[in-house]
Amino acid sequence: MKPAQFTYHRPASLAEALALLRTHGSSAKSLAGGQSLGPMLNMRLARPDHLVDLNDLIELDSVRVSDDMVEIGALTRHHRVANAPELRRSLPLLSAAAASIGHYAIRQRGTIGGSLAHADPAAQLPLIAVTLGASLVIAGLQGTRNVVAADFLQSIMTVDLRDGELITALRFPLPVGGFWAFEHFSRRHGDFAIVSVALNFAQDADGKIDALRLGLGGVDTVPLRLPEIEARAQGRPADEDTIRELAAATASAIAPEDSAQVPASYRRRLAETLVIRAFQSALNREEGA
Amino acid sequence: MSDAFTEIGRALPRKEDRRLVTGRGRYLDDLAFPGALHVSFVRSPHAHARILGIDSVEAAAMPGVMGVFTGRDLDQWTTRLRLAPPIEGLQPTELTTLPIDKVRFHGDPVACVVATDRYLAEDAAECVVVDYEQIPAVTSIEEAFAPDAVLVDETLSSNMVSHQSLCVGDPAARRAEAHRVVSARFALHRHTHAPLETRGCVADWDDGRAHLNMHIGNQVPHPLRSQLAARLGLSESQVTVMSPDVGGAFGQKIALYREELAVAALSRHLRHPLRWREDRMENLMAAAHAREYECRTRAAVSETGKILGLELEIDEDFGGYCFYPANYMARVIALIMTGPYRIQDYAYEVRVALTNKCGAGPMRAPMAVTSWVMEGTIDAIARELGLDPVEVRRINALGPGDLPYTMPTGEVLEDVTPKETLETAVAAIDVAAFRERQARARSEGRYLGLGLCTVIESTTYGSEFYKSAGIPGSGHEAAWVRIEPSGAVNASVGLMGTGQGYESPLAQAVAEGLGVRSEDVTVHMGNTDIAPYGMGSRGGRGATAGGGTLYLCALKARERVLAIAASMLDLNDAGGLRMRAGHIERMIGEDWQKTGLALTDIARRAYLDPLALPEGVAPGLDFSHSYDPPAMTYSNSTHACEVEVDPQTGAISIDRYIVAEDCGTVLNPIVVRGQQQGAIAMGLSGALLEQVIYDGAGQNLSATLADYLVASPNELPEFEILHHHTPNQRTPAGIKGMAEGGVMGAIGVIANAVSDALAPHGMTIERLPLTPQSICALLQEAATSPAKRTQL
Repeated sequence: MKPAQFTYHRPASLAEALALLRTHGSSAKSLAGGQSLGPMLNMRLARPDHLVDLNDLIELDSVRVSDDMVEIGALTRHHRVANAPELRRSLPLLSAAAASIGHYAIRQRGTIGGSLAHADPAAQLPLIAVTLGASLVIAGLQGTRNVVAADFLQSIMTVDLRDGELITALRFPLPVGGFWAFEHFSRRHGDFAIVSVALNFAQDADGKIDALRLGLGGVDTVPLRLPEIEARAQGRPADEDTIRELAAATASAIAPEDSAQVPASYRRRLAETLVIRAFQSALNREEGA
Repeated sequence: MSDAFTEIGRALPRKEDRRLVTGRGRYLDDLAFPGALHVSFVRSPHAHARILGIDSVEAAAMPGVMGVFTGRDLDQWTTRLRLAPPIEGLQPTELTTLPIDKVRFHGDPVACVVATDRYLAEDAAECVVVDYEQIPAVTSIEEAFAPDAVLVDETLSSNMVSHQSLCVGDPAARRAEAHRVVSARFALHRHTHAPLETRGCVADWDDGRAHLNMHIGNQVPHPLRSQLAARLGLSESQVTVMSPDVGGAFGQKIALYREELAVAALSRHLRHPLRWREDRMENLMAAAHAREYECRTRAAVSETGKILGLELEIDEDFGGYCFYPANYMARVIALIMTGPYRIQDYAYEVRVALTNKCGAGPMRAPMAVTSWVMEGTIDAIARELGLDPVEVRRINALGPGDLPYTMPTGEVLEDVTPKETLETAVAAIDVAAFRERQARARSEGRYLGLGLCTVIESTTYGSEFYKSAGIPGSGHEAAWVRIEPSGAVNASVGLMGTGQGYESPLAQAVAEGLGVRSEDVTVHMGNTDIAPYGMGSRGGRGATAGGGTLYLCALKARERVLAIAASMLDLNDAGGLRMRAGHIERMIGEDWQKTGLALTDIARRAYLDPLALPEGVAPGLDFSHSYDPPAMTYSNSTHACEVEVDPQTGAISIDRYIVAEDCGTVLNPIVVRGQQQGAIAMGLSGALLEQVIYDGAGQNLSATLADYLVASPNELPEFEILHHHTPNQRTPAGIKGMAEGGVMGAIGVIANAVSDALAPHGMTIERLPLTPQSICALLQEAATSPAKRTQL
């Protein structure tokens, strides 16, 4: 459990970091919070020749809320995402999901950019990014490009990030409706969820569901957004029958695989249950508020 | 508890906490050894394979590498571990320090790399090329016992390394005349100890003195020293074992493991200090595992649920190597199975299988499965006969009139209170009110369950038990107490704490016996040059064997101190004297009055003015004592808990948890409470979360803490603890010992509670752990085949 040998770099600016990443190409890995890369290095599952430590790039630890979007710097820690008042107001779904990551010490280190780059299919922040239609700002020496989260996340721990590139920020559109919920099921507090569900919607004047966004984690190689379920919900009353129907349809729409410990049927069952609970908690919260 | 005690029973804070909670403890890694070399082991990626060759040429040439050593090398410098106690049905086994021809489990060490730092050692370990020829792996008891099974140990005639049975009375006749014969099954899964601090050691061979200083966190320093000396061909004078602070052991730090012996042998060979720290993956994969049992019971019962006879079969998956005699754990389970119940016609059969998994060893409550099996059998009787499970317990439980009670295996229970703890727990949890809540909840589609589990905990094994059970070993313990010239009190005992919090309660045992304040006593443990030869810490023997021996030794010291005091006060004898808080008091009329004489005065005379001592009294105040406890000492408890099972997710929440426990005289209630909480937590963690998982090819799939799930406080309820204090009449100060019963009770009570919750579905828990996916699978099965009662 000691990492293989690597050369350690600690750039003081984004430009310097990008230059290092370009110089060393695929033999370099960038280190943000280290909550996943650290263990992978120690278990020698990751064996970069060069480690580029991003922790001095303070310009990437930022939260900016404008009229139509929220931009969060890639080095922003989960703790800040969970607790910053401007985020809890503008993106409560994201804050709630961030608050459920691991434990306090982990949230003090882990970063939003790192979570997206690592792309664990059960992780919270990729799920919320997909559900809310966030995009990533990716810098390279040639300039920057924007990629929507759903395209960025390609498979288990596989993302659209080329050699020499770095995620610098996530941009979230402001959600359209005030109803939201994040539900996840894990065997212990703080573990990666077996299945997680995120949703966000509005209600029209008659109480009908409008603009539902529904995302699921842990049921595929990447977080899934389910547009067909979202379309089916449009204009329907947010009552128990509808919710149950949508939940059952969700369970049919996903195709999880059997794993050593968790059969696919169990994930499906959890997905159905958690969709119901997510709707209920969104509606209950709104009533309470 | 006796009111006569002034030091025993005080709620003194744990003395060690000051250093431990302020980060000033000294664990193995806090000890500096300039120039020490580091060790890393090359481990087998296969469950079962022949070693055709080991090529270490490249590794040995890498920078910083001092050598790569194989089983063949170490076999020249160490003797083999031969376990051949004269036990009927136990096949003798022998193993080398590292495997030479064959590996027997995924993680088996095959070579040892020594380098100037751990990073380089791991780099080189990767470059050692081992040529393996894979052999089919034996990964279950069923496979092990199959007629054409591959042999795990090719020197044995079969994989059934141990097989024993006993029949007392006539259980077959009881079955024939019974109203009903109730069968039940219990499969407990493989656990591992997962101490916060993994194994590790520093072997520091002093070549000039030809002496090995072995720094190692270990529960049994003296037996470990004997093992080290024997396996290295040294005398016990040439080995000192020193245990620094230890971050948990739970039974994992008793045996001398192959890695530790290899490190010691290589320190001598290289004439250099060597250090090894096991990493977490190694610990989970290759340290020691425990608890993998399949048990079946058949109870012959009357119409009222009275048990007429009981038959028990236990099969244990022991893994690939015997670091302990293979009958060691399972046989104790069979010996104490009937526990709190009146049963005389009893038979057992115990079979132990070698498989291609990590070797098994004792883990906090090596007999942990016992209470689940017995109490699950009681619940099965209640279910099949339509009786109230509380009533079935009452009708069979041993009451005061039954004691002392000789169990069918010959074990004698005395001074235990299973009926009393049962009634306390039943009253406290209010079974009647719960049943009403449960009925209401069921009508709303919610599933609540109540479990009960009464525990008879074997705590302290005397030599007589080992002898009669056919298990090699001694149960004695040894202590010394020394009052220094200043009056300071030092003491030592052969135990070694690994986090239990020994320092206060053991000081209290000394203080009580001697008549000083506990705060003024220091107990030294863990260094074999200082501590007397005792059998160390295992089971629940710390208080009875360790505390008891210290108490008796301190009584000896007190007698001398009072005799000297009497002469200093010009009295004929010490009859009217006592010592309290280090001051000599004299009974004058009805009252104890201070004499003005203190322990410091007596100590000064004993050491510095010995000519003034009474005739026949030798100078100094130095005492030693050894003590062999009764064959077996028992504590008892009843656990009760309420659960709710979420039928949608399979999640189990524990709504209430009560334990009524009788562990006799309590040395220190703070430490006892910590042990009660810790033991219950460990039991629940095991029953709900922890599981060592091997796939069909013998690959270990649970070698990280993301896969081997240990409960955190978030997953555990509050524990309500109710006390009974029935002293044992035969032990010093009435001490009984405790700290494992909580594990036994927790496993049984949670399984029984979940079975109760699932009763409307006709489902019973027969297999642990209670994962949410397994609960959902059970419910799904119930929905599709309503008649079926077994668990997947």
